[in-house]
Amino acid sequence: MIKINPAELKLVAQYIQEITGIYLDQSKSYLFETRLSSVAEAHGCKSYQELQVKAKKDSTKAIEKSIVDAITTNETLFFRDKGPFELMQHKILPELIDARSSKTSLKTQIKIWSAASSTGQELYSIAIVIKELLKDTPGYAFTLLGTDISDAAVSQASYGKYNRFEIERGLDKKYLQKFFTLFGDSWKIKDEIRAMVNFRKLNLMHPFTALGKFDIIFCRNVAIYFTLEDRKKLFNKLADSLADDGYLVIGSTESLTGVCPRFIPKRHLRSIFYQKQ
Amino acid sequence: MKNLSILVVDDDPVIRRLLEQRLKKENYQVQVAEDGYVAEKMLGQQFFDVVLTDLMMPGTLGGIEVLEIAKDINSRTEVVLITAHSSVNSAVEAMKKGAVDYLEKPINFDELFLRLDKIANMQTILRSAQDLQVAMDTTENAASETIQSLEMQVAKMRQTLDEIETILRDDHLADYNKIAKALDLVCES
Repeated sequence: MIKINPAELKLVAQYIQEITGIYLDQSKSYLFETRLSSVAEAHGCKSYQELQVKAKKDSTKAIEKSIVDAITTNETLFFRDKGPFELMQHKILPELIDARSSKTSLKTQIKIWSAASSTGQELYSIAIVIKELLKDTPGYAFTLLGTDISDAAVSQASYGKYNRFEIERGLDKKYLQKFFTLFGDSWKIKDEIRAMVNFRKLNLMHPFTALGKFDIIFCRNVAIYFTLEDRKKLFNKLADSLADDGYLVIGSTESLTGVCPRFIPKRHLRSIFYQKQ
Repeated sequence: MKNLSILVVDDDPVIRRLLEQRLKKENYQVQVAEDGYVAEKMLGQQFFDVVLTDLMMPGTLGGIEVLEIAKDINSRTEVVLITAHSSVNSAVEAMKKGAVDYLEKPINFDELFLRLDKIANMQTILRSAQDLQVAMDTTENAASETIQSLEMQVAKMRQTLDEIETILRDDHLADYNKIAKALDLVCES
């Protein structure tokens, strides 16, 4: 493994923050080494400085992409922390359906966004909750969008195939049997769920007003890697992208105090969600 | 005693006895089954870390079936297949179905012990990863309870402050009335 020196740490940390928004503590040199060593080697670099220079010069952005993939690959699980999904099932969806339906004879449109969808587990869990709650009741049109900064994550999410370690924690056996098909040593999400969702690449540091307004936004455990300044910018933009009576769900150990006064916290049972003032 | 329980499945009594003795000599916890049916029964009764099974056995329950049964009962059980040289292709098929490894006959015991060591190491790592995960979940739950209740308290205090500000800025009220009302709000909160 290629060792990183203090000067390179500063340089690479800064570069990663520029391209991803992720602020990596420079005391964690092992994290840079374990995640970037193989990227450096794959591109024939003997040092991290060489890698950073090469990545900046590369007009195809291929090196930048592999750095983003290596840095941002985080573990996510199906129904990670049951709270948000119970919240959606028992509070948010019924309220939204109540608020949106019966005004016209048109279908009730509900748009949901998983803003850092990683390899797709969160959005598929949301789709499963909707499927279970509404079965195939006509009259509702759901748009489920997942976005992530990593190309590798987006393509794995789109493929919807998970190994048994990724599947077994968190996912109930009844859901596994019902919504997944055994595929060699892995499990693949069934088409009926796959067809409900869309994934695409998006850097949350960039503007995203083009996506339109959403009724529910999930943005869990991603802003924790940003500086306070970047967190303020992000949640301000999310407030712009949320319908006036929409719902924001963040990670259960995250807080918006001192980050975005436009959101007020509300409690339902053991979970918190946010709405605009 | 080594920290690995092994079930040996082989219809050949000589090989079965040989495997049992050599593994016991290495201090593994060993049990034996003479065919797939006995193996199925034993797997249903207790957990084994490793199943070491012959690929070709008489009857409808061969090595592949033992593999499937073991994995179905508990996916943490690792299965190593023993094959004749001529059936290497089926061994590769078995790997696709979730076998961790295969050994060719005649059995090279050094090789077998090496692979068992690897499995033991892997299981230790897996177990400590699971322990860490449980610890992390517990900590996360405790942290989220604290953070969420603080978040609600802060929001409530902010609301109170806003109300106090509105009262204090109210020109229609006399100063002592403003202060009295503001104090009421502070006491309520």
